[in-house]
Amino acid sequence: MDTSSHLLSSTDAFFTKLETDKEAIRASWNHIVTTLDTALAARDDKALLALIPYIEQGDGTKAYEYIAETRRILQILHISRLELSCQKEPFFLQCADKQSLMEKYMTALFVLRRLYFRLSEESVREASDWLTCNPLSVFAVYVMTQEDLITPDNALYETIAQICFSYWNEDDKKMFLSLTAKG
Amino acid sequence: MNENKFCFIICTNNEILLSEAMHYLSHLVIPDGYTTDILTVTDAKSMTLGYNEAMEASDAKYKIYMHQDVLILNRYFLSDVLSIFSSDASIGLIGMTGYTSVSADGVMWHADEKLGTPYRRKDSYPPLSDYRYSLSEDGYRPAALVDGFLMVTANDYPWDTQNLTGWDFYDACQSLAFLLHGRKIVVPVQRHPWCMHDDGGLLNMMEYNKYRLKFMQTYREFLGKRYSEITVPINPL
Repeated sequence: MDTSSHLLSSTDAFFTKLETDKEAIRASWNHIVTTLDTALAARDDKALLALIPYIEQGDGTKAYEYIAETRRILQILHISRLELSCQKEPFFLQCADKQSLMEKYMTALFVLRRLYFRLSEESVREASDWLTCNPLSVFAVYVMTQEDLITPDNALYETIAQICFSYWNEDDKKMFLSLTAKG
Repeated sequence: MNENKFCFIICTNNEILLSEAMHYLSHLVIPDGYTTDILTVTDAKSMTLGYNEAMEASDAKYKIYMHQDVLILNRYFLSDVLSIFSSDASIGLIGMTGYTSVSADGVMWHADEKLGTPYRRKDSYPPLSDYRYSLSEDGYRPAALVDGFLMVTANDYPWDTQNLTGWDFYDACQSLAFLLHGRKIVVPVQRHPWCMHDDGGLLNMMEYNKYRLKFMQTYREFLGKRYSEITVPINPL
């Protein structure tokens, strides 16, 4: 089989599988969205965190494989799990549904990017003000800077420290410094 | 037509993404003697319908069609694309990521040679303020197709609203339309990425195959061909 034939057959196979999986993908995505909406409205931590194994090992793997937003949802759930395990306010607090949860996450990510890119003084000031008024946990900051589309450097970590150290406790500060220290 | 005007055209369904994209646009340096405009199309029925509506509404010679999840990082983006257009009057379309050939299976990114510099989290970049593109030192590469996350045009050719009724293949088909009109497509050599395209790392492929099959049928004679071989006019999709 030549390269072109191999490419065509592997692409056809991919789309055949996608077609076969489509209903399962939609069903798993609907389950994730419905669970987020109902569990956030009811502040049902257990139901929310149950989405982690659903996405990682259950039917939710279908959504994870094909629907990008699932990946960020999983990151948020991991952040929240860490926060809850340390008796901190979870990331999803004050988010009433999936939409507001994603809005909070994207806004926080944009703020971190603005602090990194430093487009202008005003841009940095706005970002700094947001991060001061909307505290993020050390877990949220670290997972976002490590896992999302941003290229953190020492300058960014120092800027974050200047802002977040005003509301993080000593353990959080130590953890952040330890996690972001160059090996 | 206003020869000294840029228009950013964005189809949007998410205010937060749009607002952030516009924040970066607001920091671009505008070349002397030029003006800019931004047209947003909210809840368009398809990408081609949205883009056509905005294209017809704008008198700007230079149009920048971009996704709502794109952040332009190169502050001198406008003067840099102007320098490229000015270097060769036959250049009609500039992309940030492109491909020198049309893949045999119609999937753009399966082509052998990829052009451009996507922003990746594993890479490290200098501060934005330190980066300047040089046409003479960096140059650009000819392409057959460019990715639709950002397309800069110097000519208005209608987007195919009849056949492209979704969100896929508008970029590949429009690229071929430019080539078949005798216009060149290029991708600047970017030492550092000019843009960040944050699509969550995964393209929505749910309806992709329907348009891929249409594309392969209509443009079958160009499948596997390089940009230099795509010159014969055919009926567009």
